[in-house]
Amino acid sequence: MIEFHSVSKRYGALQVIHDISATVEKGTTIMLCGPSGSGKSTLVRTVNRLEPIQSGRITVAGRDIHAKSVDVNMLRSGIGFVFQQFNLFPHLTVVDNVMLPLRRLRGQSRRQALPTAMLMLERVGLADRAQSLPADISGGQAQRVAIARSLILKPEILILDEPTSALDPEMVGEVLKLLRELSGGGITLMCVTHEMGFAREVADRIWFLKSGRLTFDASPDLFFSQEAHPDVRGFLSSIHRNH
Amino acid sequence: MLEILQEYGVLLLIGEYPHGKLGGLAMTLIISFVSLIATFPCAVLIALARTGKNKPLKRLASGFVHCVRAIPLLMLIFWAYFALPVVIGIPIDATYTLIIAIVIYQTAYLGEIIASGLEGLPEGQTEAAEALGLGYIPTTFRILLPQALFNVIPGIVNQLTTIIKESSLGSIIAVPELSYAMLQVNSNEVTKPLQIFGILAATYFVLCFALSQATGVLERRISNRRTGRVVVEAVA
Repeated sequence: MIEFHSVSKRYGALQVIHDISATVEKGTTIMLCGPSGSGKSTLVRTVNRLEPIQSGRITVAGRDIHAKSVDVNMLRSGIGFVFQQFNLFPHLTVVDNVMLPLRRLRGQSRRQALPTAMLMLERVGLADRAQSLPADISGGQAQRVAIARSLILKPEILILDEPTSALDPEMVGEVLKLLRELSGGGITLMCVTHEMGFAREVADRIWFLKSGRLTFDASPDLFFSQEAHPDVRGFLSSIHRNH
Repeated sequence: MLEILQEYGVLLLIGEYPHGKLGGLAMTLIISFVSLIATFPCAVLIALARTGKNKPLKRLASGFVHCVRAIPLLMLIFWAYFALPVVIGIPIDATYTLIIAIVIYQTAYLGEIIASGLEGLPEGQTEAAEALGLGYIPTTFRILLPQALFNVIPGIVNQLTTIIKESSLGSIIAVPELSYAMLQVNSNEVTKPLQIFGILAATYFVLCFALSQATGVLERRISNRRTGRVVVEAVA
């Protein structure tokens, strides 16, 4: 579904992605982890061209996303993207946030879009907050609304960039529960996370990045075993020490 | 003072209307509101050019802003008054001349206020809109501008007080607004300049002070709405 071919990215002299080649199979869940500054957020942001790359090639569903014939907005509307900071639009109600893509990209009227949006809000358990403004709901709820918004156009790919990192601990659970339901439901999922227990539970593959390189790409069983890459074992034990 | 108000009150409020031209305070308010409304779309365009990615447009807009900010409004009024009719070949009413000059002048200032509103939005708003696949137009007009304009409402109201004060310069080219009416009164009653200009000053003060108080209230409401706190009405 998504293929990275020798992808590299620099900010000036700083190389943040180092010759990464990897494949994400259709319908699978990939968890990306690694120390901060390892390039995992940058890597997932290259998939919908939020980050330009300097060399290499990325294909989505077999098409080079940087090809001239690819309309960037079309590409993006087919890829759901969830940010750490939710990035809901504060001037729009919850339901208006969710139906915005239907109205502005599919040209639907408010009346046409409303049932779809409400159905999606029910799915994330927030139908009763439809008329609230983002400022009046909790962080966990806001992130669920953001996920609903990113799914409203039924994308085949969903990318989440540390979806629970900005949440209070008691709200992490509700977002992970939702992601658990999504994973394995046919959608291709890439998620940057520090929740290693969650990663182990839902991932088909776990990618470990360090200094812009994809050092280890393994099944969860292998990832958490003694045969894992030494960097991974070091990373995991440092996490355990801190908990 | 009271005699002045009794004798010239109507002239000061509405000029010679309905027997002659509308003027006085009513004209000042009309000129101010019309100027603000006409300035608004121009200022939005300048702000978009200033904060946008198109380099030539950006330079053009900032050139305009820097030029306008470096000249006094009075110069613009003179230019509009003397040069504009020559350039376009037809005489223009002094009131329109004043409005045109104020619009050009305020476009620079209001444009900067709106630009600051756009720049003050979190980067994530643009990114979220882009990630959804929204193009420039919906991102700008549905996501960024509504938020930016809402946040700078106090600045816009504040600019209205500035415009009200600036409209007094119209008296120089005989626009029949409040200051001009006062000058007329002053030439009738040559011995009472203190009272006459006292009334004039008090009128501008009441208008502008009320507006700046309103600005304060708006500012509080806006910050409450954005942070999600319930707006508590002040109980007098």
